[in-house]
Amino acid sequence: MLPMFDGIDWLGVFFYILSAVIVVSALLVVFSKNIVHSVLWLVISFIAVAGIFITLNADFLALIQVMVYAGAICIMVVLGIMLIKRDDMNKTNMFNSQLYFGGAVALMVTFLTGFASYKINYSGNPPMVPENSVESIATLLLSKYVIPFEVVALLLTVTLVGAIYIAREVKADADS
Amino acid sequence: MKSLPFLTIILLAPAICAIIMAFIPKEQVNPIKWLAATGTFISLAMSAYLYGVYDTAAGGLQFVERVPWIKDLGVSYFLAVDGISLPMLLLTNMIGFSAVFASWNLESRHREFFILLCLLISGVMGTFIAHDIFIFLLFYEVVVIPIYIMVIIWGSSKRVTKEYAGMKLTIYLLVGSAFLLVGIIALFVKSIPILGEPNMSFAALAQAGNQMSAFDQKWLFALMLIGFGSLISMWPFHSWSPDGYAGAPTAVSMIHAGVLKKIGGYGLIKIALFSLPLGAKFWAPYMAALGIAGVAYAAFAALAQKDLKYIVGYSSVSHMGYVMLAIGTVNVIGINGAVANMFAHGVMAALFFSAIGVIYEKTKTRWIPDLGGLARQMPLLAVSFMLAAFASLGLPGLIGFIPEFTIFIAGFKAFGGFAVIAIGGIVITALYALRAGANTLFGPPREEYNNLRDIRGAELVPLAVLGLVLIAGGLLPSLLFDMVNSGVEPLMNQLDNALKIGGLI
Amino acid sequence: MQMDFSVIIPEIAMVSLGVLVLILGLILPKKSLPRLGWFTSFSLIGILALVVLNWNNVGTVSGGLYLIDQFSQFFKVIFLTAAILVVFGSMAYVDKHLGGQAEYYSILVFSTLGMMVMASANDFITMYLGLELMTISFIVLVCFRRNDSESLEAGMKYVLLAGISSAVLLYGLSLIYGIAGTVLVVEVGMILAVQQSLPLLLVGVVMLVAGLGFKIAAVPFHMWAPDVYQGAPTPITSFLAVGSKMASFAILIRIFVLGMFGVSLSWGILMAILAGVTIIIGNLVAIPQTNIKRLMAYSGIAQAGYILVGMVTASQAGVKAIMFYGFIYIFAVVGVFTAISYYYNLTGSDEIKDYAGLSQRSPLMAATMVVSMLTMAGIPPFAGFVGKFYLFMTVVENYLWLAIIGLIMSMVSVYYYLMVVLVMYRDRPQDSSPIVVSLPVRMTLIFTMLVSVVLGVYPGPLSEIINKAALSFFMH
Repeated sequence: MLPMFDGIDWLGVFFYILSAVIVVSALLVVFSKNIVHSVLWLVISFIAVAGIFITLNADFLALIQVMVYAGAICIMVVLGIMLIKRDDMNKTNMFNSQLYFGGAVALMVTFLTGFASYKINYSGNPPMVPENSVESIATLLLSKYVIPFEVVALLLTVTLVGAIYIAREVKADADS
Repeated sequence: MKSLPFLTIILLAPAICAIIMAFIPKEQVNPIKWLAATGTFISLAMSAYLYGVYDTAAGGLQFVERVPWIKDLGVSYFLAVDGISLPMLLLTNMIGFSAVFASWNLESRHREFFILLCLLISGVMGTFIAHDIFIFLLFYEVVVIPIYIMVIIWGSSKRVTKEYAGMKLTIYLLVGSAFLLVGIIALFVKSIPILGEPNMSFAALAQAGNQMSAFDQKWLFALMLIGFGSLISMWPFHSWSPDGYAGAPTAVSMIHAGVLKKIGGYGLIKIALFSLPLGAKFWAPYMAALGIAGVAYAAFAALAQKDLKYIVGYSSVSHMGYVMLAIGTVNVIGINGAVANMFAHGVMAALFFSAIGVIYEKTKTRWIPDLGGLARQMPLLAVSFMLAAFASLGLPGLIGFIPEFTIFIAGFKAFGGFAVIAIGGIVITALYALRAGANTLFGPPREEYNNLRDIRGAELVPLAVLGLVLIAGGLLPSLLFDMVNSGVEPLMNQLDNALKIGGLI
Repeated sequence: MQMDFSVIIPEIAMVSLGVLVLILGLILPKKSLPRLGWFTSFSLIGILALVVLNWNNVGTVSGGLYLIDQFSQFFKVIFLTAAILVVFGSMAYVDKHLGGQAEYYSILVFSTLGMMVMASANDFITMYLGLELMTISFIVLVCFRRNDSESLEAGMKYVLLAGISSAVLLYGLSLIYGIAGTVLVVEVGMILAVQQSLPLLLVGVVMLVAGLGFKIAAVPFHMWAPDVYQGAPTPITSFLAVGSKMASFAILIRIFVLGMFGVSLSWGILMAILAGVTIIIGNLVAIPQTNIKRLMAYSGIAQAGYILVGMVTASQAGVKAIMFYGFIYIFAVVGVFTAISYYYNLTGSDEIKDYAGLSQRSPLMAATMVVSMLTMAGIPPFAGFVGKFYLFMTVVENYLWLAIIGLIMSMVSVYYYLMVVLVMYRDRPQDSSPIVVSLPVRMTLIFTMLVSVVLGVYPGPLSEIINKAALSFFMH
């Protein structure tokens, strides 16, 4: 828990700073002309989300967020970009032509959800986060949530098998 | 004797023959034809037997077979006949049997044709003997698809293509049946709280329907009227009928005009009228008005036709107008007349279509100006054609007279002067029927038709069966009327009681 | 934490089967790979038997997160039956056009497992993961013709739209979680029953409807269906049309009828409108189609609309109607698509005009297609009629307009089905040699046709079973 002094709710301050970073970098992901820049902004956005997790005392999740999203996934995206050659990097982020329509819909959805969330009174006290969250997550995953956990394992298997099958080199003797 | 499930045997005989046919190689044309004839003959013979032994004095439902079928919907496999359904059953089988022989000289794809024909006949029979509304619905639409396939394969394209005719026929009837289905489902759902349990038998639904509010009865009846009305070709939902008959092969026209249409009138009487008396009372004048409009409109339209099938097609719309008028009277005489007229028209229309089928088959045309003097070359054909024509204009001594006369009496009683318009229709009917006969059969014989041989062998069966009934029904009308009356009168008494109670409320 | 694993034996068996098929594919010689189809189908039949034998062996696993009741058992029967029929129907197709039997069958098994997890899931997390397992397996299967750009394009579209819909669904679920504070559907139901209607709940409901609307291909979330159906290998199309749709309905029922029963008034009308629009658009757009797979895609959209009708009243009768219709829907869809894929094997065409004279070349295939299509149209005496009867019975009291729309449009749907019938029956074939139908395909065709007829004429026993299953759904 962060200390609260000088009468300032530091937790709140951090939350708003991080949220601002997330929103701005997410917008920049969409609006950048160069797709490599988009990826970089995406990394920033992911890291800021990890920051939010930290303010919630979910340090394990924050770690995963940085490792998996900011690390692995963004590297995958960059690899993908590398494989697809474009002459002009400034035209790589193909932007939807329906900017105004899409923007209007997005704004409306944001406004509606924001309004609806504002109206609601979140009651009930969230349970205290245990000191050592990694251990309790591990216990939960292998006891209460064992079925979803196993399903995730299968999901990964299917994804791997499928990806390999589809991307596998077509042999010369296969039908052309 | 009662232990034998007569109705099930009658119902399934053609269907089972159809299944057997599916396993006969398609080159074996004769066994297939004879199998179809056998199946329909068994049904015909047994239904004639039932007609003979039915106890008209006792009336009510007889030869009942009832097995619980779907528990949670309260459906039971409930076959029975009463004075209304038995004539229809007999009619179906007479026409079905004749239709097999009317298709004896079919040119191609025999196996498919006779399978579909037999399934069709079974389906039509099912609607007349089922006394559970769910089983009724099962059969109600089963007939539509075989007809479509038969029209598109073996039909003929003249004024309209056979594809158009088949599709129009099918979609018209199906969309009509959608309204009917909504009405029936709503009636059923509303009946559950009244009866305390789901029960789909006609009697239970009638009992529940009688207790519903006038408003419910009115809109439910309206939905059913659209459904059944489009099947009986009630004006203005009639336009499928002439086009459809023109495109269809002979056997389909016979069955469609002869019996299938009658399912509309039958359902209107046995389901809509008896279940929803207040609704019927409310809509009766409108039904009668539409009936009269149909009579007049279709008679004039028939007058203008040059294609034989269109003449008979419009004529059948016109005759069904009488039936609607009769149902609109909502009294015993009227309903008796309606049922009897459906029977009578079924016989004559089937005979008419079979005669036209022969003419078309031999001369390759149905266009009246191209025909003439056929009575010289084909005297027996002329006999069947003229028998049908005379019956259609209501000549005394043939089957058409008494029912129409009954309807006029009932019409006068209920509506007075309006019924005169309907009688005017008779005059026009005489005009177009006789003119068609004269221009086709009489006058100077044409040379190009000299080598045509008269109907013989299998082709005589429709004339023999249907012609006999035409005359017998005319000379001994009590054969038909006692039967019909035994079915109508008790039900109408219940209806009158319900109306009195409803009137008090 | 002690758990009773005996209730999830079928799931465990599915995992083993999927892995086993994959391993067998590696160790078997290449020429015996086609036999994997037989192996998979018979194993699936065994697992189906396991589910049926354990019909009354109900209970919960992992503290109520995973629920085995007769409702989920019934859906598992649906999925397994569909999978078995699809495997039977696809053997010839896979051997001729695809190859990769081991991967194909094992991923098919895993996607079935995903559906089974969805049917039993009682919390948002398991539900979502089951859905993803199914969806990702389908993505792979849709792209399985990997040398064919059409198939890859279909796969790409499916990836994108499935991703978007999953995101929307997840967002909706998180909003509901935010209100209720629990992921267990039963608890959500209890909390929402005493809540006032909140704007946030409405936003959540809309998102859930949109997310699941994609999966069941309801208008206006249906755009992906025709392209994906057309591009995917035909047996997969049929599995997509039945399995994916019915599994999504299983969680739709679970979330809405169980979890939001208390606020059913606020979403009932939404479902009714969605159903009406879906029925109308699906049927009308199907009319001008010339490709049989696209035709079936639009007809499948319309079917989703009919099934949605059962959701409107949130009642036991509605749930029962959905289950009944879902069951008969498998046989109708698989019947049609098996014939389509077998015909494609012979002629390489999916165009309706190329079906000319099929009734003379193979009466069995033509008859199966007619029967199956009429089942979908709801024409008696085929099973679809009973199904529609159950569905529309539930809405006739309060939503009469929906019943009228639904029944009229189902009669309109006969129009485009009959156009196919017209081509098959009227026209003469260009090549009049009779078609010899291979054994597994013939079995599938005859079986599906018989089921459609028998259940249409005598639905009593099935309906009793489903009544009990639907009752078990409300017992929590």
